[in-house]
Amino acid sequence: MTVSFILNGEDVSAKARSADRLSDFLREAFALLGPRSDCRCGHCGRCLVFLDGRLVPACLVPAFAVRGKEVVTIEGFSQTADYSDIAEGFKSAGVESCGFCAAPRIMAASALLERHPRPMPREILEYMSCAPCRCTDPEAIVRGVVAASELRARRLYRRAGQ
Amino acid sequence: MQDSDVHFPKDLPEALEIMRKRPGIAFFAGGTDILREQGSIGISLPPEMLFIRDLPELKRAGLTERFLEIGAAVTASELLDLGDAALPPLLAEAVRGIGTHAIRNLATIGGNLACRKRFMDSWPALSCLDGLVELRDQGGATWMNVNRLVGDDARPSVPEGGLITRVRVPLERWDAYALRKVGPRTSPTPDTAVFAFAARVEKGILTEFRIAFAGELALRSPSIESTIIGRSLPLSSRESSSIVESYRAAASFLPEGLALQFGSLVDAVLGIISG
Repeated sequence: MTVSFILNGEDVSAKARSADRLSDFLREAFALLGPRSDCRCGHCGRCLVFLDGRLVPACLVPAFAVRGKEVVTIEGFSQTADYSDIAEGFKSAGVESCGFCAAPRIMAASALLERHPRPMPREILEYMSCAPCRCTDPEAIVRGVVAASELRARRLYRRAGQ
Repeated sequence: MQDSDVHFPKDLPEALEIMRKRPGIAFFAGGTDILREQGSIGISLPPEMLFIRDLPELKRAGLTERFLEIGAAVTASELLDLGDAALPPLLAEAVRGIGTHAIRNLATIGGNLACRKRFMDSWPALSCLDGLVELRDQGGATWMNVNRLVGDDARPSVPEGGLITRVRVPLERWDAYALRKVGPRTSPTPDTAVFAFAARVEKGILTEFRIAFAGELALRSPSIESTIIGRSLPLSSRESSSIVESYRAAASFLPEGLALQFGSLVDAVLGIISG
């Protein structure tokens, strides 16, 4: 079947089998290598994408289910100001830029800040469990998200003032 | 791998019409359980599927004077977004136990109840809260208590061919409640189960007492509950022991490890209500 949807801001269409997971479909049909299908049970977080603005594990979404929807992968998200705030916040807090979790962690942080602009440590740890990894001390992750939330708030404040 | 034929109805009447023309068609909403269970690259799906996740009638949730009514395709996250004022605390606890934030953005309440392999997180809470489900098929709509989704063998028994369209939860005051998930969480095993408890007290007397426990098998014992309702609080240690023993006997059909944990949890909630 042909699946038409918006991918990283562009209208796209591609043939998909009903058996295709979105994570594999994005790699095979669009050469987007950011989302990876590792655990295929939604828990490793390496395939996180935004589906209509909500963070979801792409390995638990069949490709046909994105018909008419909007998908943003790390490739598209990395072009946004939110991405820059979070990447900078993480860097300032000494959060490792680990090849396994860096991208999903940034996406999970963005989903959190969208809902809780000033998150509490408990909320941060809960949200970041979407992208589990042992590379970084959880306290550094909390500091990184708090730093990112401050950068984001400052940017939004400046924008509102313009 | 054979390609499935997926139908995308725009609304519920169109979905019901497709169901009429194609009896036995499979329903697909969140899909989290089906896709999680198959660790393979490709997924094996039924030959014909009705994609119901976006049906507007199934995406609504709201309060009436006496009920919280939830469309079956409302996701766990959307349910939590209703907030503490709208969502019964026991149900909120159960929904928070579903996967991670990202998985909760996909998992639907209808899918959580319609799973045929095991009871998922929401069933024990909805059982205690006397939740109802609306089933739609060619013949019309039927409301049934979630307790009727349990077969005589204590396994899930969702009527064939019926589409769960709504879940209705009575809004009642509960003075004590508890929810506990036991066993592996990431990928459920036979040792994974959810324990739910709710009680109401009037002038020091237990006027409602409910316990539900479910994993691959479900346990809810109205007969034991009826022997507890009407007792004065605090319960004596003899009363508590006798209740725990009754529940232990009722749980003898569960795997040994689960039965032991169940007994301890019953003991713990009796401690809570006896203060």
